Amino acid sequence: MGSVKLEGQVQVEWRWLIAAYLFLAGVGGGAYLVGVIADLSGGPDWMAVSKIGVFLGLPCVLIGTLFLLADLGRPTNAWRVWMKPGTSWISRGTIIIVLFMIFAAIQTALWIWPFAGPLADNESARHLIGVLGAVFAFPTVVYTGLLLGYSQPIALWNTALLPVLFFVSAVSTGIMAIMLIGRSQGVEGTQLALLTVIDAVILVFEMFVLIVFLYNAYRTVESRFSAKRILAGAVAPAFWLGVIACGLAIPFFLELFGGEGIVASLAALLGLFGGLCLRYSVLAGGTLSPIMAGGYEFARVARPKDPMPAMGKLPPS
Amino acid sequence: MTRYGMVIDLKRCYGCYSCVMACKQANRTPPGVFWSRVLRGEMGVYPNSVRQALPVLCNQCAEPDCMKVCPTGATYQTDEGIVRVDKNKCIGCKYCMMACPYGARYSVPEYKSYFPEGLPVSDYEKHCMQVWEEKRGCGVATKCDFCIDRRAEGREPACNQACPAKARVFGDLDDPESEVSYLIKTKRGFVLRPEVGTEPKVYYLPPR
Amino acid sequence: MAATITSKVQEDVWIPTCCGQCYCMCGIRVHRQNGVVTEIEGNPEAPTGRGKICVKGLAGTHLLYDPYRVNYPLKRTNPQKGLGVDPKFVRITWEEALDTIVKKLEACKEKDSRGAYFQATTTAASEIRYAVTAFNKAFGTPNYWVSGGGLHCGNGAHFMNGIMHVSWSIIPDFAHCNLPLNFGCSKGHGAGHTAVQNAIQAADARARGARTITFDPMQSPQASKAHEWVPIRVGTDGALALGFVNVFLNELGVWDDEYLKYKTNAPYLIRPSDGRYMRDKATNKPQVWDLVDKCPRVHNDPLVTRVQYEDQAHDVALLGTYEVDGVKCRPAFELLKEHVKKYSPEYVEEVTWIPAATIRRLGKEIAECAEIGATVTIQTEQGPKKIPKRPIAAHFFRGSQGHVNSGWTCLSIDMINHILGAADTYGAAMGLGAEVTDGYKPTGKPYQIPYPDEDGLLVAKAWVYDHVPYPLRVPKQPTRLDLHDMFPTSIYNAFTITSPHWFEILDQFKINYRPDVMINFGSNSVMTMGNAEIVTENFLKKFNFIFSFQLYVSEFEEAVADIVLPDACYLERYTPAVSFPSTFSHPQGEDDWGWTIRQPAIEPMYERRDFNVVLMEICKRLGILPKYFKALNDMTVMRYGGPFSPENKLCEDGSVEHTWPDVVDRLLKDRFGPEHGLEYVRKKGVFTWPKRKEDVYWKWFNPSRVPVYFEYFIDAGEQISKLCEQYDPQKKYIDLNWSVFKALADWYPCPTHSKEKPEYDMNAFYWRPVTQTNSMTQQNPYLDEITSEDPNIYGIQMHQKTAEEKGIKDGDYVWLENTDGKRVKGWVSLSEGMEPHHVAIAAIGGHWGEYMPIAKGKGTFFNDLVMMDAAHTDPLTLGQDICVRVKIYKA
Ligand SMILES: Nc1nc2c(c(=O)[nH]1)N[C@H]1C(S)=C(S)[C@@H](COP(=O)(O)OP(=O)(O)OC[C@H]3O[C@@H](n4cnc5c(=O)[nH]c(N)nc54)[C@H](O)[C@@H]3O)O[C@H]1N2
Ligand SMILES: Nc1nc2c(c(=O)[nH]1)N[C@H]1C(S)=C(S)[C@@H](COP(=O)(O)OP(=O)(O)OC[C@H]3O[C@@H](n4cnc5c(=O)[nH]c(N)nc54)[C@H](O)[C@@H]3O)O[C@H]1N2
Ligand code: SF4
Ligand code: SF4
Ligand code: SF4
Ligand code: SF4
Ligand code: SF4
Ligand SMILES: [Mo]
Repeated sequence: MGSVKLEGQVQVEWRWLIAAYLFLAGVGGGAYLVGVIADLSGGPDWMAVSKIGVFLGLPCVLIGTLFLLADLGRPTNAWRVWMKPGTSWISRGTIIIVLFMIFAAIQTALWIWPFAGPLADNESARHLIGVLGAVFAFPTVVYTGLLLGYSQPIALWNTALLPVLFFVSAVSTGIMAIMLIGRSQGVEGTQLALLTVIDAVILVFEMFVLIVFLYNAYRTVESRFSAKRILAGAVAPAFWLGVIACGLAIPFFLELFGGEGIVASLAALLGLFGGLCLRYSVLAGGTLSPIMAGGYEFARVARPKDPMPAMGKLPPS
Repeated sequence: MTRYGMVIDLKRCYGCYSCVMACKQANRTPPGVFWSRVLRGEMGVYPNSVRQALPVLCNQCAEPDCMKVCPTGATYQTDEGIVRVDKNKCIGCKYCMMACPYGARYSVPEYKSYFPEGLPVSDYEKHCMQVWEEKRGCGVATKCDFCIDRRAEGREPACNQACPAKARVFGDLDDPESEVSYLIKTKRGFVLRPEVGTEPKVYYLPPR
Repeated sequence: MAATITSKVQEDVWIPTCCGQCYCMCGIRVHRQNGVVTEIEGNPEAPTGRGKICVKGLAGTHLLYDPYRVNYPLKRTNPQKGLGVDPKFVRITWEEALDTIVKKLEACKEKDSRGAYFQATTTAASEIRYAVTAFNKAFGTPNYWVSGGGLHCGNGAHFMNGIMHVSWSIIPDFAHCNLPLNFGCSKGHGAGHTAVQNAIQAADARARGARTITFDPMQSPQASKAHEWVPIRVGTDGALALGFVNVFLNELGVWDDEYLKYKTNAPYLIRPSDGRYMRDKATNKPQVWDLVDKCPRVHNDPLVTRVQYEDQAHDVALLGTYEVDGVKCRPAFELLKEHVKKYSPEYVEEVTWIPAATIRRLGKEIAECAEIGATVTIQTEQGPKKIPKRPIAAHFFRGSQGHVNSGWTCLSIDMINHILGAADTYGAAMGLGAEVTDGYKPTGKPYQIPYPDEDGLLVAKAWVYDHVPYPLRVPKQPTRLDLHDMFPTSIYNAFTITSPHWFEILDQFKINYRPDVMINFGSNSVMTMGNAEIVTENFLKKFNFIFSFQLYVSEFEEAVADIVLPDACYLERYTPAVSFPSTFSHPQGEDDWGWTIRQPAIEPMYERRDFNVVLMEICKRLGILPKYFKALNDMTVMRYGGPFSPENKLCEDGSVEHTWPDVVDRLLKDRFGPEHGLEYVRKKGVFTWPKRKEDVYWKWFNPSRVPVYFEYFIDAGEQISKLCEQYDPQKKYIDLNWSVFKALADWYPCPTHSKEKPEYDMNAFYWRPVTQTNSMTQQNPYLDEITSEDPNIYGIQMHQKTAEEKGIKDGDYVWLENTDGKRVKGWVSLSEGMEPHHVAIAAIGGHWGEYMPIAKGKGTFFNDLVMMDAAHTDPLTLGQDICVRVKIYKA
């Protein structure tokens, strides 16, 4: 096929606001999961970690949801998502998120804040609610990938790897968020050190998933342009600087060689920023695959941006 | 039952954009919104390369993905199989825009003037904005509805009426006698992206 | 849409009128609701489109309401003129504007009224000629021109089509043609004349299975729809056409014997001494050789004449040598046949870059497809008649004619048709809207019936411009500022008026007045003629005062206008004469005759005023209104067939002051009968009446012949060159190769084809996208947005591999530089659909004017590359060469 300069129609609707939503849902859900696991398996040494993790769940997801609301064209109609529960990943997602937030709220209220309440002592109740919360925290993290993945025409998203990628990133950014806050909230050095190592391992795994994800995208004709757009096109700065440098490489090396302290915090901060950039890159990379008809490939075609009309001069009146 | 569809003859079509402009004008769509659009493609290697235009619009799919992902039921199908958006129900989540395999949906946050910002808005644009607000709205998903309102007035879909090549035929797919049915049957009619399973009702006839 | 807001709607009307976004003048209906124009669509009653219109026509609302429209008279307050100079326009009253203008015109008249120069846009060329020509006559100036128009599109094509088809242009009889051959024109695919109706017909033809072959350096829209795209090197179509003629005559031995014998001058006997006709001593008429009686006969001797196909006549000689009055003569045809031998496919391959094998293959296909000998029977007023069926048509326009070989290229391409008998008959190449009609029955007007002159050749009864195709005007000592009177075969020329020595030329040719006041209607000649700087400095700045009727402050007004008058646009004014004569906009083929009329869909907004009204006001203030009315009365003869009936005549003694709508009303009633005045137009916007088949396929109903041997060119060339030599013996100013004035078609190269400076290795040319008209519509934001959808329009098209070799990537900004060092910038759009040694630029983009911000900076300004000297001028028609050799490098 001698065809040139093919470019899919770039999706421009879901950008930073949705990226922030996906990211915060990830951080919140991820941190919560880590917190619950720490509580279930870590013993008293891990109590601080566990509390921070669980605590982060609600505000992160809640703020994330506000971003989602802000992206709506008609936010006043938002209540209508309840009219057709379960028909769409958006309605399903809202249900999951709301249920998650309920459990997270219960836990927070009865355990962490405003008073170290009943759950602090009742370990099994706490664990039970924790597990129930986790049951919704997991889909909160994963569904964001499914939400995008349900979009058939955007081949970049339409893959089982996306939920995996989002899940891994959620756990990693969740840990980073815990580490960031943990240092000032009295988490012990040993725990921090261990978290750092765990996170470094997860980062390697995330890198691996990302490579497979993009390799697959590039290999598939329908999503090749998306991959190109991310790797070398308009999204490349966000991807290389944000995702690869800030999100993966720098935190990894800092975590391996920088130890704890301020350096670890920096790593966490960068890592979180990287998590946001990852969501953004995936969204902004989304392009409708070219349409084939009669052997031709059809698409919206790239061209240099022509100057936006300036005001110019109005003829005097 | 009536099931409206369209046939676009790519042999007749010469990529003139009349359908695009006619739709814009008839529906008073704002900048950036192209319910009717013409894509361009190229095939082969010089000197045997060929260029072709592909006019696209909403396929009014029988199994529309846009409707499946809609969380509010704002997107619905009429009895005649036309996929519409109820602007009062739409929350503007734009999920349908991600899901439509044909890029047929558009949403604008506000009706910007076609002229640089800060100028007095012309009477014509004021009129367009008013019609848009009344019938479609900003912030919500919008799309081609096979010119339902025009047809109620006894007019053809605007894009069909304008097409100088008479490349577009509109009609009832369920009526075996209709021109659309005849063309699809006898002239190798095909749909776009059949693999996604949305069962489009806009058919194309091959360019050569 | 009315459904939901009907409650609020008080006014809801559709006004039938006529589009004015390009010169095709399609019939439209305009929707007005509560005083606001809200929709435009095609008028189903107009044969030019039958309810269909193009994207530009649909986008007209934004022209009407564009906030950048000029709404009040403006005055330049910066005395300095030139490109990039801020004119410092201020608003003035109409009173002040008219006052100033009339004073300037009065002063001009005092000095020499010929110092007034009317420049107009082609976009409204046919409609304004009625008023403008009358004004010029009344004022007393011969100086008129349509800027880029003749130079780029018309000099060659219209003149040659006038000779061969008494028409402005040619077009295939799409309804029956099986093989349209497209030489550098988009007819039926976007631009060109009667664009929408032709697009309908071309689509029907495709659906019917007609094959199309397109010769074009670019895979243009018409090439994309063709069955075969044959990439050709710019400026070589003439050679290719003669190559085909050679294949027909000398390789295949195919020609239409009957047609050539009875409908052309091919059998005319030519004397060897000077290539002139061997004339009959008694009658001075050219002669043919009667093969039955073995004697010479004058061309229109009934024995050797066939007017209708079924007429009987003696066979005449096309080949051989015959002795007449002791002189051995040969038929013109034999000379032609021998002459074209040099266009062997091998030679043509060298010139055109089309393989010889392809030329032979296509030549054979074309010849076979012509079905020579086939006939059909059509229903005429006199009953069924047999006529030849020739379903092939070679047609051409701006692309192939925009070269130094313009005139001959047009004739050569058309020669394909005439050799095969495929002219103005069933399925063949047709005069575009040939006004070969006996008129609108109730009134007998308008009409034109072409007739043969003494030499038997086709004469147009009415012709719009004064480059009457045939018989030629006799070249005269020039009086016009462009020396036009000396050049009977051209409409306009640029090389004299844009010469740095313009005034010296005037001295040399004893023209003792100078340009003084320019009246501009619309034309943006700064952008449309050629290199902007040369046009501005050498030509426009020579005027002491320029006023311009305009819709926008275009680059022209910004650079040189002293006063800008806000014109009413096509949706705000009356015009009786938009689509006649059939220059640009007449219904083709068997579809009905039609004349679209313009009426306001809305009253002129702000202080915009219809230029027709203003022109009359100026005449009144100058005291020349009676002369103006007289001129209008006189013009109708030439333009619309037949003089005014006395009761409709405009009053010439000044006792009545007609209003413009009054003028319109009278003209309409006179042409179309008393019941068809303005009242009728207000309801219908269009007149139609059935076309007779013999008006469509008129060739075999008309006694005239067309030349394949252009004997009279020899005389014309001698006369012109003699005149030039008389005034300019050193050829200091007018150095043109007069030897191209000869009897047989030839091809000669463009400067672009020179082998010097090999680093200039690309050929640049321009083309028209369907979404834009020349330089105007780029300001329309609807059209701008849609244009942006196609990367080949605002981008410079270039072949992928060529770009790769030069290290240029898709979307890169590049410079194109011509051999004079002039350069233009733009971004490239790579494709497989380009001949590898060419770059293509669409429309007239690259606007820089501050007052058209939507247009500003879009596309590339090709014309800065165009050279306007004698070397780039066709000696035959004075058409301008608009292909340019360039080098291309990254910006
Ligand atoms: N690069 C390049 N150069 C070209 C061409 C090309 O395609 N490319 N085309 C060539 C050809 S063939 C031609 S004919 C010429 C055309 O050249 P022009 O005759 O100069 O035509 P336009 O560029 O259409 O300019 C039309 C002008 O008329 C004004 N106008 C339009 N309608 C009205 C009206 O109703 N009233 C008034 N008062 N003004 C009006 C518009 O505002 C605009 O400024 O250009 C030639 N030059
Ligand atoms: N949409 C639209 N319609 C218009 C106009 C417009 O601006 N826009 N302008 C009107 C006017 S003023 C005119 S004059 C007509 C012109 O109408 P056309 O003659 O159809 O004009 P173009 O598209 O400029 O040229 C036709 C083709 O010639 C090709 N070409 C260029 N050089 C050569 C060559 O040397 N040889 C060959 N074989 N092909 C060549 C170009 O690639 C192009 O495809 O259109 C009229 N109609
Ligand atoms: S944008 Fe509106 S129509 Fe589209 S999915 Fe969301 S609610 Fe439904
Ligand atoms: S084309 Fe897209 S918007 Fe139209 S019905 Fe199908 S899925 Fe929905
Ligand atoms: S049917 Fe109507 S709404 Fe749909 S694309 Fe055509 S003109 Fe637009
Ligand atoms: S109007 Fe008709 S010919 Fe023109 S692009 Fe649309 S479908 Fe094709
Ligand atoms: S072809 Fe010309 S006259 Fe006809 S609708 Fe288009 S712009 Fe108007
Ligand atoms: Mo032209």
